Amino acid sequence: MELAEKLEILADSAKYDVACTSSGVDRGGRHGSLGSCVAPGICHAFTPDGRCVSLLKVLYSNACSYDCSYCVNRRSNDIRRATFDPRELAELTIGFYRRNYIEGLFLSSAVVATPDLTMEKMIEALRILREKYHFRGYIHAKAIPGADPLLVRRLGYLADRMSVNIELPSADSLQRLAPDKKKSAVLAPMGQIAAESKQNRRELQLYRSAQPFAPAGQSTQMIVGASPETDRHIMGLTEALYKKYSLKRVFYSAYLPVVEDSRLPALTTRPPLLREHRLYQADWLLRYYHFSAGELLSEEEPNFNPYLDPKCCWAIRNPAFFPVEVNTAAKEDLLRVPGIGPKSALRIIQARRMQHLGMAELKRIGVVLKRAQYFITCNGYLGAHGTRAEIANALLDPKAFGVGVQQLSFDDCMPKALPDAAPELHRLTAEGMDVLQAAALLKQEAVTCITRQM
Amino acid sequence: MHYQADVADVVYRYDGTMQGFLCCVFESFRRRELPCGICSPEEGRLTLFPEREIATDPARARRVLTGIERLGGGVRQRFMTAFLSTDPEKEQILLRYLRLAFATGRGVDRMLGDPDVAAAWQLERAVNGEAHHFLEFIRFEERDGMLGAVIHPQNMVLPLLRPHFCSRLPDEAFLIYDATHGIAMLRRGNEVRYLEMEDYDRETSPEEQQWQMLWKRFFRALTIEPRRNERCQRTHCPRRFWRDMCEMQGGCLEVPGQSRKALEEPRNA
Repeated sequence: MELAEKLEILADSAKYDVACTSSGVDRGGRHGSLGSCVAPGICHAFTPDGRCVSLLKVLYSNACSYDCSYCVNRRSNDIRRATFDPRELAELTIGFYRRNYIEGLFLSSAVVATPDLTMEKMIEALRILREKYHFRGYIHAKAIPGADPLLVRRLGYLADRMSVNIELPSADSLQRLAPDKKKSAVLAPMGQIAAESKQNRRELQLYRSAQPFAPAGQSTQMIVGASPETDRHIMGLTEALYKKYSLKRVFYSAYLPVVEDSRLPALTTRPPLLREHRLYQADWLLRYYHFSAGELLSEEEPNFNPYLDPKCCWAIRNPAFFPVEVNTAAKEDLLRVPGIGPKSALRIIQARRMQHLGMAELKRIGVVLKRAQYFITCNGYLGAHGTRAEIANALLDPKAFGVGVQQLSFDDCMPKALPDAAPELHRLTAEGMDVLQAAALLKQEAVTCITRQM
Repeated sequence: MHYQADVADVVYRYDGTMQGFLCCVFESFRRRELPCGICSPEEGRLTLFPEREIATDPARARRVLTGIERLGGGVRQRFMTAFLSTDPEKEQILLRYLRLAFATGRGVDRMLGDPDVAAAWQLERAVNGEAHHFLEFIRFEERDGMLGAVIHPQNMVLPLLRPHFCSRLPDEAFLIYDATHGIAMLRRGNEVRYLEMEDYDRETSPEEQQWQMLWKRFFRALTIEPRRNERCQRTHCPRRFWRDMCEMQGGCLEVPGQSRKALEEPRNA
């Protein structure tokens, strides 16, 4: 098989893996080798679906011996199969890397025969890349659940970031949809990687020649929308994963129906993109805003509001916390204000050492005053007075009512609901309502509803 | 502001270099005045105010630069980066910023609430942001073992690209051609030189075409059709960068089936 065709097949099979970050390691270049890493990561291209391409994301092979019902590569699916040769994969990576197309390699694989055999092949490809081509760029490798711990260990010394996908948010769903995978088989390598990283950090401090083990930590991903779990369950799981396994990232992937199966949502189901977006927003709140999962959702309200982002939702439920005085408040308190993020909070703290901050100053600093003005005081004066309806209007997330022209062909210029708009908007337009009218109606309803909550 | 009263009806004209600009700062302090405009020779702005030619004196420039360095790394960094901007107002903004900086002292770079500091910060942000886009979107092509790339930046970003690519490609010779300003950065061995260049021919050898074809096919294969969101794509990768990115040639509007056919045609020919 020709290389280009192989690349196409294996990239196509890997594209449903969401993680494509190259962050977490700072490693300068060195003579005699090729490449460097920067801690924030670099994206190199953006596909028409708006996702970034940072790494050469491919499967080593897509000839899978498992039969997970949600997966395109499952054994019973009739698709083209291909497998890389370690050397050709390494050459491809180097060629792309030199041309600045990519930051490095993301290597995953379907289970070829057994997990151990698959891992050995992957390790061989990475070893060639690191040792023969002296590649110092980023490598993200996926540990295959059920592989020997020794192999996981060897992979960790070659890769920068490792990940094990927990695939579905609960053991029941996993049992139902991916009968070949066991919860314990997924969590075992995760625990091993966490333990080895911890030990390795100590070694790195003690010995100069110690090799770093997965210096960019580990991540995982789960599919959202294929099984009945609530957002509250998912956030709880996420928080536990961050705490217990010190993960760097948890990725969510909106379920795209690729297969007909009675256990799965119908093929015509839209991917829950807005829900995925809300989960990522909440994930950010956990990692950068000192929120805990319990604060965001409760038993009475187990799912995120599609029209409000989780932070605004929290602000509406906790009016007693506000207003926050920008000139004296602690960083943690500033971070709770809708419209102030980690960057502007830091800038506020730096700037207020030199000068008093008023509304004009905050605007220059980059605070989103549209939302923040109702929740802050500057030198004791409230940022703005607004009626409940005005505040609700300012807080609404415009993404939920997204209407635009997406040209799929040249004679197609009608405005449509964007793919990541609220599901209700899609339902109304599907029933034949004009999309702009539907968006206006929905917005009206959302404002009324939020005003009542305040 | 306290210095607003000092605005004088005069326009400074300097040679466009950083040294020249530092001499303008010197002049502004020496005469205790704030000119109502500073022009470089490239912009032939017509003004009603009398012009004053500011001679470039390296000794004066060094004095001002030493002063800036005394204000801390942040102030120096912001000045150096913002000066790479091609904003027509940049000299005025930077002069106001430096005057405030000399009046306030260290820590002025963190006073982002101040209008003068904020204006200089915005310039710095724009330049850094554009430079970062080029770290992402530069596409090298190989010719006789050497890498070459063309960019069309708005600001003079080449000096900001230098450390990144020198570290990333430690043993490679490469050239980045800034087509907007007609300057190329050439790195060979351990030496980096800036050259004036007029023209750059794109590489058309079959091997290079083969690599680009591989990349394009990979790029197309990655797209998930049900998630198509071109607005999001344009937010992250604005249209003006597309002309130098091989995978964006031909646009992304085509329906996937057609685009694949279009890709395969030149291969069969």
